Amino acid sequence: MVALVGASAGRRLKRVLTYGAALLVLVVTAFPLYGIILTSIQTEPDIRSPDVAFVPTYIETEHYQRIFDETSGIPVAESMVNSLVVALATAFLTVAIAVPAAYALHRMSVPGRRIILGGFAAIYILPTLLFVLPLFIAVVQLGLYDTYIGLVLPYVAFTLPFMVWIMGSFVRAIPVEVEEMARIDGAGLRQLMFRIIIPLLRPGIFAGLLLGFILAWVEFLTPLLFTSDLSILTVTLGLFRSTMDIAIGQLAAATVITALPVILITAVFQRNISEVVTAGVER
Amino acid sequence: MTTQGQVVEVRASRTRRRGRLVAAAMVAPAVLVVCGVYAYPALSTLAYSVSKIDLSPRFRIEGFVWLKNFINQLTDPHFWQATWITIYFGVMLCLVTVVLSFLIALLLNKTFFGRGLLRVTVLLPWAVPPVASGVLWVQMFHAEFGFLNGLIRAFGGEGGIIWLGGSTIALHSVLITEVWRWIPFATLFILAGLQIVPKSVREAAAIDGAGSWRGFRHVTFPLMLPVVVPVVIFLFVWAMKVFDTIFVLTRGGPTRGTTTLNFLTYRQGFVQFDFGNAAATAYLLSALTVVVIAGLGWMLARSRKLAGT
Repeated sequence: MVALVGASAGRRLKRVLTYGAALLVLVVTAFPLYGIILTSIQTEPDIRSPDVAFVPTYIETEHYQRIFDETSGIPVAESMVNSLVVALATAFLTVAIAVPAAYALHRMSVPGRRIILGGFAAIYILPTLLFVLPLFIAVVQLGLYDTYIGLVLPYVAFTLPFMVWIMGSFVRAIPVEVEEMARIDGAGLRQLMFRIIIPLLRPGIFAGLLLGFILAWVEFLTPLLFTSDLSILTVTLGLFRSTMDIAIGQLAAATVITALPVILITAVFQRNISEVVTAGVER
Repeated sequence: MTTQGQVVEVRASRTRRRGRLVAAAMVAPAVLVVCGVYAYPALSTLAYSVSKIDLSPRFRIEGFVWLKNFINQLTDPHFWQATWITIYFGVMLCLVTVVLSFLIALLLNKTFFGRGLLRVTVLLPWAVPPVASGVLWVQMFHAEFGFLNGLIRAFGGEGGIIWLGGSTIALHSVLITEVWRWIPFATLFILAGLQIVPKSVREAAAIDGAGSWRGFRHVTFPLMLPVVVPVVIFLFVWAMKVFDTIFVLTRGGPTRGTTTLNFLTYRQGFVQFDFGNAAATAYLLSALTVVVIAGLGWMLARSRKLAGT
Protein backbone atom coordinates (compact mmCIF):
# COMPACT_ATOMS: atom_id res chain seq x y z
CA MET A 1 0.00 0.00 0.00
CA VAL A 2 2.69 2.43 1.05
CA ALA A 3 4.80 1.33 -1.91
CA LEU A 4 1.87 2.01 -4.27
CA VAL A 5 1.34 5.52 -2.94
CA GLY A 6 5.05 6.11 -3.22
CA ALA A 7 5.06 4.95 -6.83
CA SER A 8 2.21 7.22 -7.88
CA ALA A 9 3.75 10.16 -6.05
CA GLY A 10 7.02 9.39 -7.79
CA ARG A 11 5.27 9.32 -11.13
CA ARG A 12 3.57 12.61 -10.41
CA LEU A 13 6.91 14.12 -9.41
CA LYS A 14 8.39 12.85 -12.67
CA ARG A 15 5.60 14.47 -14.64
CA VAL A 16 6.03 17.77 -12.87
CA LEU A 17 9.76 17.61 -13.60
CA THR A 18 9.12 16.83 -17.28
CA TYR A 19 6.75 19.74 -17.73
CA GLY A 20 8.97 22.04 -15.71
CA ALA A 21 11.94 21.17 -17.91
CA ALA A 22 9.86 21.56 -21.07
CA LEU A 23 8.70 24.98 -19.96
CA LEU A 24 12.25 26.03 -19.13
CA VAL A 25 13.53 24.93 -22.54
CA LEU A 26 10.64 26.68 -24.26
CA VAL A 27 11.31 29.96 -22.46
CA VAL A 28 15.10 29.90 -22.91
CA THR A 29 15.00 29.18 -26.64
CA ALA A 30 12.11 31.47 -27.52
CA PHE A 31 12.79 34.38 -25.19
CA PRO A 32 15.44 36.22 -27.25
CA LEU A 33 13.20 36.02 -30.32
CA TYR A 34 10.25 37.23 -28.31
CA GLY A 35 12.42 40.01 -26.92
CA ILE A 36 13.39 41.39 -30.31
CA ILE A 37 9.77 41.35 -31.51
CA LEU A 38 8.70 43.06 -28.31
CA THR A 39 11.41 45.70 -28.79
CA SER A 40 10.30 46.34 -32.35
CA ILE A 41 6.75 47.25 -31.29
CA GLN A 42 7.59 49.54 -28.37
CA THR A 43 8.27 53.28 -28.41
CA GLU A 44 11.87 54.36 -28.12
CA PRO A 45 11.54 55.82 -24.56
CA ASP A 46 9.99 52.55 -23.36
CA ILE A 47 12.77 50.52 -24.97
CA ARG A 48 15.36 52.64 -23.23
CA SER A 49 13.65 52.51 -19.85
CA PRO A 50 15.34 50.39 -17.17
CA ASP A 51 11.85 49.14 -16.20
CA VAL A 52 11.92 46.39 -18.76
CA ALA A 53 8.41 45.39 -19.81
CA PHE A 54 7.99 41.71 -20.57
CA VAL A 55 4.42 41.89 -21.81
CA PRO A 56 3.36 44.42 -24.44
CA THR A 57 0.63 46.83 -23.37
CA TYR A 58 0.39 48.38 -26.84
CA ILE A 59 1.62 47.79 -30.38
CA GLU A 60 3.59 50.53 -32.07
CA THR A 61 4.13 50.00 -35.80
CA GLU A 62 6.04 53.22 -36.31
CA HIS A 63 9.47 51.53 -36.48
CA TYR A 64 8.34 49.30 -39.31
CA GLN A 65 6.97 52.26 -41.23
CA ARG A 66 10.12 54.27 -40.57
CA ILE A 67 12.60 51.71 -41.89
CA PHE A 68 10.78 51.59 -45.21
CA ASP A 69 10.65 55.37 -45.32
CA GLU A 70 12.77 57.10 -47.95
CA THR A 71 14.14 59.53 -45.41
CA SER A 72 15.54 56.94 -43.00
CA GLY A 73 19.31 56.64 -43.10
CA ILE A 74 19.35 52.99 -44.10
CA PRO A 75 17.75 51.92 -47.39
CA VAL A 76 16.10 48.79 -45.99
CA ALA A 77 13.78 48.28 -48.96
CA GLU A 78 16.67 48.62 -51.41
CA SER A 79 18.83 46.28 -49.37
CA MET A 80 16.05 43.69 -49.43
CA VAL A 81 15.92 43.93 -53.23
CA ASN A 82 19.71 43.55 -53.39
CA SER A 83 19.68 40.52 -51.11
CA LEU A 84 16.77 39.04 -53.06
CA VAL A 85 18.58 39.40 -56.41
CA VAL A 86 21.86 38.05 -55.08
CA ALA A 87 20.24 35.19 -53.15
CA LEU A 88 18.09 34.08 -56.10
CA ALA A 89 21.03 34.19 -58.49
CA THR A 90 23.15 32.23 -56.02
CA ALA A 91 20.46 29.60 -55.44
CA PHE A 92 19.84 28.91 -59.15
CA LEU A 93 23.50 28.97 -60.17
CA THR A 94 24.60 26.72 -57.33
CA VAL A 95 21.89 24.15 -57.97
CA ALA A 96 22.53 24.24 -61.74
CA ILE A 97 26.19 23.41 -61.16
CA ALA A 98 25.63 21.00 -58.26
CA VAL A 99 22.98 18.71 -59.77
CA PRO A 100 25.00 17.37 -62.75
CA ALA A 101 28.11 17.16 -60.58
CA ALA A 102 26.30 15.22 -57.85
CA TYR A 103 24.73 12.86 -60.39
CA ALA A 104 28.03 12.19 -62.13
CA LEU A 105 29.87 11.69 -58.84
CA HIS A 106 27.36 9.17 -57.50
CA ARG A 107 26.07 7.37 -60.58
CA MET A 108 28.82 7.57 -63.21
CA SER A 109 32.49 6.74 -63.15
CA VAL A 110 34.41 9.95 -62.61
CA PRO A 111 38.19 9.85 -62.37
CA GLY A 112 39.28 10.95 -58.89
CA ARG A 113 35.76 10.63 -57.50
CA ARG A 114 36.82 9.95 -53.93
CA ILE A 115 39.36 12.77 -53.91
CA ILE A 116 36.75 15.22 -55.21
CA LEU A 117 34.12 14.20 -52.63
CA GLY A 118 36.70 14.15 -49.84
CA GLY A 119 38.07 17.52 -50.88
CA PHE A 120 34.59 19.04 -50.95
CA ALA A 121 34.02 17.90 -47.37
CA ALA A 122 37.50 18.87 -46.14
CA ILE A 123 37.09 22.47 -47.37
CA TYR A 124 34.56 23.08 -44.61
CA ILE A 125 37.11 22.48 -41.91
CA LEU A 126 39.26 25.43 -42.98
CA PRO A 127 38.48 29.01 -41.97
CA THR A 128 36.84 31.16 -44.65
CA LEU A 129 39.41 33.91 -44.16
CA LEU A 130 42.08 31.55 -45.49
CA PHE A 131 40.43 31.91 -48.90
CA VAL A 132 39.14 35.43 -48.57
CA LEU A 133 42.48 37.28 -48.42
CA PRO A 134 43.48 36.56 -52.07
CA LEU A 135 39.85 36.69 -53.19
CA PHE A 136 39.66 40.24 -51.92
CA ILE A 137 42.69 41.16 -54.04
CA ALA A 138 41.19 39.37 -57.06
CA VAL A 139 37.80 41.05 -56.63
CA VAL A 140 39.41 44.48 -56.44
CA GLN A 141 41.75 43.84 -59.40
CA LEU A 142 38.96 42.47 -61.58
CA GLY A 143 36.80 45.50 -60.85
CA LEU A 144 34.15 43.36 -59.10
CA TYR A 145 34.22 45.33 -55.84
CA ASP A 146 30.73 46.72 -55.11
CA THR A 147 29.06 44.63 -57.85
CA TYR A 148 26.43 41.88 -57.80
CA ILE A 149 28.86 39.51 -59.51
CA GLY A 150 31.47 40.19 -56.85
CA LEU A 151 28.96 38.88 -54.31
CA VAL A 152 27.32 36.07 -56.28
CA LEU A 153 30.59 34.40 -57.33
CA PRO A 154 31.95 33.89 -53.80
CA TYR A 155 28.46 32.97 -52.50
CA VAL A 156 28.10 30.27 -55.18
CA ALA A 157 31.56 28.95 -54.45
CA PHE A 158 31.08 28.92 -50.68
CA THR A 159 27.75 27.10 -51.01
CA LEU A 160 28.73 24.69 -53.77
CA PRO A 161 30.63 21.93 -51.91
CA PHE A 162 27.80 21.64 -49.38
CA MET A 163 25.21 21.68 -52.16
CA VAL A 164 26.95 18.89 -54.11
CA TRP A 165 26.92 16.85 -50.93
CA ILE A 166 23.20 17.48 -50.25
CA MET A 167 22.25 16.78 -53.89
CA GLY A 168 24.33 13.61 -53.67
CA SER A 169 22.10 12.30 -50.89
CA PHE A 170 19.05 12.94 -53.06
CA VAL A 171 20.67 11.30 -56.09
CA ARG A 172 21.52 8.21 -54.06
CA ALA A 173 17.85 7.92 -53.05
CA ILE A 174 16.86 7.35 -56.71
CA PRO A 175 16.58 3.60 -57.28
CA VAL A 176 19.13 2.33 -59.78
CA GLU A 177 16.44 0.09 -61.33
CA VAL A 178 14.60 3.14 -62.69
CA GLU A 179 17.71 4.20 -64.57
CA GLU A 180 18.43 0.71 -65.84
CA MET A 181 14.92 0.41 -67.14
CA ALA A 182 15.23 3.73 -68.99
CA ARG A 183 18.53 2.61 -70.47
CA ILE A 184 17.04 -0.66 -71.68
CA ASP A 185 14.31 1.39 -73.33
CA GLY A 186 17.13 3.09 -75.23
CA ALA A 187 17.26 6.44 -73.43
CA GLY A 188 20.47 8.38 -73.94
CA LEU A 189 22.13 10.31 -71.13
CA ARG A 190 20.38 13.57 -72.04
CA GLN A 191 16.96 11.94 -72.11
CA LEU A 192 17.75 10.10 -68.90
CA MET A 193 18.72 13.36 -67.19
CA PHE A 194 15.83 15.52 -68.35
CA ARG A 195 13.04 12.90 -68.51
CA ILE A 196 13.89 10.76 -65.49
CA ILE A 197 16.52 12.11 -63.12
CA ILE A 198 15.61 15.77 -62.89
CA PRO A 199 11.85 15.11 -62.43
CA LEU A 200 12.68 12.56 -59.73
CA LEU A 201 15.09 15.02 -58.12
CA ARG A 202 12.45 17.76 -58.00
CA PRO A 203 12.00 17.73 -54.21
CA GLY A 204 15.77 17.74 -53.77
CA ILE A 205 16.22 20.58 -56.24
CA PHE A 206 13.53 22.57 -54.48
CA ALA A 207 15.20 21.98 -51.12
CA GLY A 208 18.54 22.93 -52.65
CA LEU A 209 17.14 26.20 -54.03
CA LEU A 210 15.75 27.10 -50.61
CA LEU A 211 19.02 26.23 -48.92
CA GLY A 212 21.06 28.24 -51.42
CA PHE A 213 18.71 31.17 -50.96
CA ILE A 214 18.99 31.06 -47.17
CA LEU A 215 22.76 30.75 -47.10
CA ALA A 216 23.12 33.74 -49.44
CA TRP A 217 20.51 35.77 -47.56
CA VAL A 218 22.29 35.40 -44.21
CA GLU A 219 25.86 35.80 -45.51
CA PHE A 220 27.70 38.59 -43.73
CA LEU A 221 31.48 38.36 -44.13
CA THR A 222 31.50 38.52 -47.96
CA PRO A 223 29.43 41.72 -48.29
CA LEU A 224 31.30 43.23 -45.35
CA LEU A 225 34.62 42.79 -47.15
CA PHE A 226 33.61 42.99 -50.82
CA THR A 227 31.20 45.94 -50.76
CA SER A 228 31.09 49.38 -49.22
CA ASP A 229 28.57 51.32 -51.29
CA LEU A 230 25.09 51.83 -49.82
CA SER A 231 23.52 51.10 -53.24
CA ILE A 232 24.65 47.46 -53.02
CA LEU A 233 23.92 47.04 -49.30
CA THR A 234 22.57 43.62 -48.33
CA VAL A 235 20.07 43.11 -45.49
CA THR A 236 22.57 41.54 -43.10
CA LEU A 237 25.10 44.29 -43.68
CA GLY A 238 22.30 46.85 -43.31
CA LEU A 239 21.70 45.59 -39.77
CA PHE A 240 25.30 46.20 -38.85
CA ARG A 241 25.47 49.59 -40.52
CA SER A 242 22.32 50.50 -38.65
CA THR A 243 23.69 49.59 -35.23
CA MET A 244 25.50 52.89 -35.47
CA ASP A 245 23.01 55.32 -36.83
CA ILE A 246 19.42 54.30 -36.32
CA ALA A 247 17.25 53.93 -33.29
CA ILE A 248 17.02 50.63 -31.39
CA GLY A 249 13.36 50.18 -32.24
CA GLN A 250 14.10 50.49 -35.95
CA LEU A 251 17.07 48.16 -35.63
CA ALA A 252 14.80 45.61 -33.94
CA ALA A 253 12.20 46.00 -36.68
CA ALA A 254 14.87 45.58 -39.36
CA THR A 255 16.15 42.47 -37.56
CA VAL A 256 12.67 40.95 -37.51
CA ILE A 257 12.24 41.74 -41.21
CA THR A 258 15.62 40.18 -42.03
CA ALA A 259 15.02 37.03 -40.02
CA LEU A 260 11.41 36.52 -41.04
CA PRO A 261 11.94 35.16 -44.60
CA VAL A 262 14.51 32.66 -43.33
CA ILE A 263 12.30 31.50 -40.48
CA LEU A 264 9.36 31.06 -42.85
CA ILE A 265 11.46 29.23 -45.43
CA THR A 266 12.93 26.99 -42.73
CA ALA A 267 9.45 25.96 -41.68
CA VAL A 268 8.69 24.98 -45.29
CA PHE A 269 12.13 23.43 -45.75
CA GLN A 270 11.67 21.22 -42.69
CA ARG A 271 8.47 19.72 -44.05
CA ASN A 272 10.10 19.32 -47.44
CA ILE A 273 13.06 17.43 -46.07
CA SER A 274 11.05 15.16 -43.81
CA GLU A 275 8.80 14.32 -46.78
CA VAL A 276 11.81 13.25 -48.80
CA VAL A 277 13.27 11.29 -45.90
CA THR A 278 10.05 9.38 -45.19
CA ALA A 279 9.65 8.70 -48.91
CA GLY A 280 13.15 7.25 -48.92
CA VAL A 281 12.43 5.09 -45.88
CA GLU A 282 9.19 3.80 -47.37
CA ARG A 283 11.00 2.81 -50.52
CA MET B 1 33.20 -15.86 -83.28
CA THR B 2 36.17 -14.41 -81.48
CA THR B 3 36.32 -11.39 -83.74
CA GLN B 4 32.69 -10.65 -83.10
CA GLY B 5 33.31 -10.82 -79.37
CA GLN B 6 36.26 -8.50 -79.72
CA VAL B 7 34.23 -5.99 -81.73
CA VAL B 8 31.58 -5.93 -79.04
CA GLU B 9 34.25 -5.50 -76.39
CA VAL B 10 35.93 -2.64 -78.26
CA ARG B 11 32.61 -0.93 -78.69
CA ALA B 12 31.78 -1.36 -75.03
CA SER B 13 35.10 0.08 -73.93
CA ARG B 14 34.62 2.99 -76.31
CA THR B 15 31.20 3.83 -74.85
CA ARG B 16 32.66 3.40 -71.40
CA ARG B 17 35.39 5.89 -72.23
CA ARG B 18 32.84 8.29 -73.65
CA GLY B 19 30.73 7.87 -70.53
CA ARG B 20 33.73 8.80 -68.43
CA LEU B 21 34.35 11.90 -70.51
CA VAL B 22 30.73 12.99 -70.17
CA ALA B 23 30.87 12.36 -66.42
CA ALA B 24 34.05 14.40 -66.12
CA ALA B 25 32.40 17.21 -68.09
CA MET B 26 29.46 17.18 -65.70
CA VAL B 27 31.72 17.48 -62.67
CA ALA B 28 34.08 19.99 -64.28
CA PRO B 29 32.16 23.22 -63.55
CA ALA B 30 31.89 22.37 -59.86
CA VAL B 31 35.53 21.36 -59.63
CA LEU B 32 36.65 24.47 -61.52
CA VAL B 33 34.67 26.79 -59.25
CA VAL B 34 35.99 25.06 -56.16
CA CYS B 35 39.57 25.17 -57.44
CA GLY B 36 39.20 28.84 -58.37
CA VAL B 37 37.73 29.88 -55.05
CA TYR B 38 39.42 27.46 -52.65
CA ALA B 39 42.54 25.81 -54.05
CA TYR B 40 44.00 28.83 -55.82
CA PRO B 41 43.32 31.23 -52.92
CA ALA B 42 44.62 28.72 -50.37
CA LEU B 43 47.90 28.54 -52.30
CA SER B 44 47.99 32.32 -52.70
CA THR B 45 47.49 32.71 -48.97
CA LEU B 46 50.38 30.31 -48.46
CA ALA B 47 52.49 32.54 -50.69
CA TYR B 48 51.34 35.64 -48.76
CA SER B 49 52.31 33.99 -45.49
CA VAL B 50 55.98 33.93 -46.49
CA SER B 51 55.98 37.34 -48.16
CA LYS B 52 56.15 40.96 -47.29
CA ILE B 53 53.09 42.53 -48.84
CA ASP B 54 52.38 46.12 -49.67
CA LEU B 55 48.76 47.12 -50.14
CA SER B 56 49.05 50.82 -50.83
CA PRO B 57 48.73 52.31 -53.29
CA ARG B 58 48.10 48.90 -54.84
CA PHE B 59 48.67 45.26 -54.00
CA ARG B 60 52.28 44.23 -54.46
CA ILE B 61 54.35 41.34 -53.11
CA GLU B 62 57.54 43.06 -52.06
CA GLY B 63 59.63 40.06 -51.32
CA PHE B 64 60.15 36.67 -49.77
CA VAL B 65 60.65 36.76 -46.00
CA TRP B 66 60.93 33.05 -45.19
CA LEU B 67 59.07 32.27 -41.96
CA LYS B 68 59.22 35.78 -40.54
CA ASN B 69 55.43 36.18 -40.45
CA PHE B 70 55.01 32.89 -38.64
CA ILE B 71 57.75 33.77 -36.16
CA ASN B 72 56.05 37.14 -35.67
CA GLN B 73 52.91 35.33 -34.62
CA LEU B 74 54.55 32.67 -32.49
CA THR B 75 56.48 35.29 -30.51
CA ASP B 76 53.52 37.65 -30.14
CA PRO B 77 51.71 37.39 -26.80
CA HIS B 78 48.53 38.64 -28.52
CA PHE B 79 48.67 35.63 -30.82
CA TRP B 80 48.91 33.25 -27.86
CA GLN B 81 46.14 35.09 -26.04
CA ALA B 82 43.95 34.63 -29.12
CA THR B 83 44.97 30.96 -29.35
CA TRP B 84 43.98 30.20 -25.76
CA ILE B 85 40.73 32.12 -26.18
CA THR B 86 40.01 30.13 -29.36
CA ILE B 87 40.71 26.78 -27.72
CA TYR B 88 38.73 27.67 -24.59
CA PHE B 89 35.84 28.94 -26.70
CA GLY B 90 35.88 25.81 -28.89
CA VAL B 91 35.96 23.39 -25.95
CA MET B 92 33.27 25.27 -24.03
CA LEU B 93 30.99 25.59 -27.05
CA CYS B 94 31.20 21.84 -27.67
CA LEU B 95 30.83 20.89 -24.02
CA VAL B 96 27.95 23.19 -23.07
CA THR B 97 26.05 22.69 -26.32
CA VAL B 98 26.35 18.90 -26.25
CA VAL B 99 25.35 18.58 -22.58
CA LEU B 100 22.33 20.89 -22.94
CA SER B 101 21.31 19.36 -26.28
CA PHE B 102 21.58 15.87 -24.84
CA LEU B 103 19.27 16.83 -21.97
CA ILE B 104 16.81 18.49 -24.34
CA ALA B 105 16.93 15.50 -26.67
CA LEU B 106 16.25 13.12 -23.76
CA LEU B 107 13.29 15.32 -22.86
CA LEU B 108 11.98 15.40 -26.43
CA ASN B 109 12.36 11.64 -26.63
CA LYS B 110 9.60 11.30 -24.00
CA THR B 111 5.95 11.61 -24.82
CA PHE B 112 4.18 14.52 -23.19
CA PHE B 113 1.56 17.09 -24.06
CA GLY B 114 3.00 19.90 -26.17
CA ARG B 115 6.04 18.01 -27.39
CA GLY B 116 5.39 19.00 -31.00
CA LEU B 117 5.32 22.68 -30.08
CA LEU B 118 8.55 22.37 -28.11
CA ARG B 119 10.21 20.60 -31.03
CA VAL B 120 9.44 23.47 -33.38
CA THR B 121 10.48 26.10 -30.84
CA VAL B 122 13.81 24.41 -30.17
CA LEU B 123 14.57 24.59 -33.89
CA LEU B 124 13.83 28.32 -34.20
CA PRO B 125 17.22 29.80 -33.23
CA TRP B 126 18.74 27.88 -36.12
CA ALA B 127 16.63 29.83 -38.58
CA VAL B 128 17.82 33.19 -37.29
CA PRO B 129 20.59 34.70 -39.45
CA PRO B 130 23.81 34.92 -37.38
CA VAL B 131 23.95 38.70 -37.64
CA ALA B 132 20.33 38.98 -36.54
CA SER B 133 21.04 36.70 -33.58
CA GLY B 134 23.94 39.00 -32.73
CA VAL B 135 21.65 42.02 -32.78
CA LEU B 136 18.98 40.38 -30.67
CA TRP B 137 21.49 39.23 -28.08
CA VAL B 138 22.94 42.74 -27.90
CA GLN B 139 19.42 43.68 -26.86
CA MET B 140 19.36 40.87 -24.30
CA PHE B 141 22.75 41.80 -22.85
CA HIS B 142 22.32 45.58 -22.71
CA ALA B 143 23.52 46.73 -19.29
CA GLU B 144 20.88 49.40 -18.66
CA PHE B 145 17.72 48.23 -20.39
CA GLY B 146 18.59 44.74 -21.56
CA PHE B 147 16.19 41.85 -20.96
CA LEU B 148 18.63 39.74 -18.93
CA ASN B 149 19.25 42.42 -16.32
CA GLY B 150 15.54 43.23 -16.41
CA LEU B 151 14.79 39.58 -15.67
CA ILE B 152 17.27 39.53 -12.79
CA ARG B 153 15.65 42.66 -11.36
CA ALA B 154 12.20 41.14 -11.78
CA PHE B 155 13.32 38.26 -9.56
CA GLY B 156 14.63 40.69 -6.95
CA GLY B 157 18.27 40.75 -7.96
CA GLU B 158 20.37 43.82 -8.54
CA GLY B 159 20.57 43.34 -12.32
CA GLY B 160 23.57 45.56 -12.86
CA ILE B 161 25.69 43.07 -14.77
CA ILE B 162 27.65 44.65 -17.60
CA TRP B 163 27.49 41.60 -19.85
CA LEU B 164 29.76 42.90 -22.58
CA GLY B 165 31.93 44.99 -20.26
CA GLY B 166 34.84 42.85 -19.04
CA SER B 167 36.89 40.63 -21.29
CA THR B 168 36.02 37.39 -19.44
CA ILE B 169 32.32 38.03 -19.10
CA ALA B 170 32.09 39.27 -22.70
CA LEU B 171 33.66 36.03 -23.93
CA HIS B 172 31.03 34.07 -22.02
CA SER B 173 28.27 36.30 -23.37
CA VAL B 174 29.43 35.48 -26.90
CA LEU B 175 29.50 31.84 -25.80
CA ILE B 176 25.88 32.02 -24.60
CA THR B 177 24.85 33.48 -27.95
CA GLU B 178 26.60 30.74 -29.90
CA VAL B 179 25.34 27.94 -27.66
CA TRP B 180 21.81 29.25 -28.19
CA ARG B 181 22.37 29.23 -31.95
CA TRP B 182 23.77 25.69 -32.07
CA ILE B 183 21.46 23.87 -29.67
CA PRO B 184 18.88 23.23 -32.46
CA PHE B 185 21.36 21.47 -34.71
CA ALA B 186 22.92 19.42 -31.90
CA THR B 187 19.53 18.49 -30.40
CA LEU B 188 18.15 17.38 -33.76
CA PHE B 189 21.21 15.23 -34.41
CA ILE B 190 21.28 13.65 -30.95
CA LEU B 191 17.52 13.09 -30.93
CA ALA B 192 17.78 11.23 -34.22
CA GLY B 193 20.51 9.11 -32.63
CA LEU B 194 18.46 8.44 -29.49
CA GLN B 195 15.62 7.14 -31.59
CA ILE B 196 17.99 4.59 -33.07
CA VAL B 197 19.08 3.25 -29.65
CA PRO B 198 16.46 0.54 -29.28
CA LYS B 199 14.16 0.96 -26.33
CA SER B 200 14.48 -2.76 -25.67
CA VAL B 201 18.17 -2.33 -24.89
CA ARG B 202 17.42 0.28 -22.26
CA GLU B 203 14.55 -1.79 -20.86
CA ALA B 204 16.82 -4.80 -20.63
CA ALA B 205 19.31 -2.71 -18.70
CA ALA B 206 16.54 -1.52 -16.38
CA ILE B 207 15.45 -5.11 -15.73
CA ASP B 208 19.04 -6.00 -14.95
CA GLY B 209 18.72 -3.48 -12.15
CA ALA B 210 20.41 -0.50 -13.72
CA GLY B 211 18.89 2.75 -12.49
CA SER B 212 18.27 5.77 -14.69
CA TRP B 213 21.77 7.13 -14.23
CA ARG B 214 23.54 3.78 -14.59
CA GLY B 215 21.40 2.91 -17.60
CA PHE B 216 22.40 6.18 -19.16
CA ARG B 217 26.05 5.93 -18.20
CA HIS B 218 26.62 2.33 -19.29
CA VAL B 219 24.06 1.77 -22.03
CA THR B 220 22.74 4.92 -23.68
CA PHE B 221 25.89 7.00 -23.55
CA PRO B 222 28.35 4.49 -25.09
CA LEU B 223 25.82 3.71 -27.81
CA MET B 224 25.42 7.42 -28.44
CA LEU B 225 29.14 8.19 -28.76
CA PRO B 226 29.22 7.63 -32.52
CA VAL B 227 26.43 10.22 -32.77
CA VAL B 228 27.90 12.69 -30.29
CA VAL B 229 31.41 12.79 -31.75
CA PRO B 230 30.28 14.04 -35.19
CA VAL B 231 28.27 16.74 -33.44
CA VAL B 232 31.38 17.76 -31.53
CA ILE B 233 33.34 17.86 -34.80
CA PHE B 234 30.74 20.12 -36.42
CA LEU B 235 30.59 22.39 -33.39
CA PHE B 236 34.34 22.67 -33.05
CA VAL B 237 34.78 23.54 -36.71
CA TRP B 238 32.06 26.14 -36.30
CA ALA B 239 33.66 27.55 -33.14
CA MET B 240 36.92 28.01 -35.03
CA LYS B 241 35.07 30.08 -37.65
CA VAL B 242 32.82 32.23 -35.46
CA PHE B 243 32.82 35.72 -36.85
CA ASP B 244 29.43 37.40 -37.23
CA THR B 245 28.48 37.12 -33.56
CA ILE B 246 31.80 38.48 -32.32
CA PHE B 247 31.70 41.28 -34.85
CA VAL B 248 28.24 42.41 -33.82
CA LEU B 249 28.52 41.85 -30.06
CA THR B 250 32.04 42.94 -29.17
CA ARG B 251 34.28 43.57 -32.22
CA GLY B 252 36.83 41.35 -30.50
CA GLY B 253 36.96 43.48 -27.36
CA PRO B 254 36.99 44.57 -24.65
CA THR B 255 40.79 44.54 -24.51
CA ARG B 256 40.99 41.68 -27.03
CA GLY B 257 38.98 39.47 -24.67
CA THR B 258 36.87 38.02 -27.50
CA THR B 259 39.52 38.09 -30.22
CA THR B 260 39.70 34.51 -31.43
CA LEU B 261 42.30 33.46 -34.02
CA ASN B 262 39.69 33.86 -36.75
CA PHE B 263 38.89 37.37 -35.59
CA LEU B 264 42.61 38.14 -35.23
CA THR B 265 43.08 37.13 -38.88
CA TYR B 266 40.28 39.48 -39.87
CA ARG B 267 41.81 42.32 -37.86
CA GLN B 268 45.28 41.79 -39.25
CA GLY B 269 43.96 41.48 -42.78
CA PHE B 270 41.15 43.97 -43.05
CA VAL B 271 41.71 46.45 -40.23
CA GLN B 272 45.51 46.70 -40.26
CA PHE B 273 45.79 45.54 -43.91
CA ASP B 274 48.79 43.41 -43.01
CA PHE B 275 48.12 40.49 -45.36
CA GLY B 276 51.43 38.73 -44.68
CA ASN B 277 50.78 38.28 -40.98
CA ALA B 278 47.07 37.64 -41.54
CA ALA B 279 47.95 34.82 -43.93
CA ALA B 280 50.33 33.30 -41.38
CA THR B 281 47.65 33.48 -38.66
CA ALA B 282 45.07 31.93 -41.01
CA TYR B 283 47.40 29.00 -41.61
CA LEU B 284 48.18 28.55 -37.92
CA LEU B 285 44.43 28.51 -37.20
CA SER B 286 43.92 25.98 -40.00
CA ALA B 287 46.67 23.80 -38.51
CA LEU B 288 45.03 23.95 -35.07
CA THR B 289 41.65 23.01 -36.55
CA VAL B 290 43.03 20.14 -38.60
CA VAL B 291 44.92 18.68 -35.63
CA VAL B 292 41.86 18.78 -33.37
CA ILE B 293 39.56 17.37 -36.05
CA ALA B 294 42.03 14.59 -36.79
CA GLY B 295 42.03 13.72 -33.08
CA LEU B 296 38.23 13.73 -32.96
CA GLY B 297 38.11 11.63 -36.14
CA TRP B 298 40.31 9.05 -34.45
CA MET B 299 37.98 9.09 -31.44
CA LEU B 300 35.01 8.59 -33.77
CA ALA B 301 36.61 5.54 -35.35
CA ARG B 302 37.32 4.13 -31.88
CA SER B 303 33.83 4.86 -30.55
CA ARG B 304 32.31 3.17 -33.59
CA LYS B 305 34.40 0.12 -32.85
CA LEU B 306 33.39 0.19 -29.17
CA ALA B 307 29.70 0.61 -29.98
CA GLY B 308 29.96 -2.19 -32.49
CA THR B 309 31.16 -4.75 -29.95
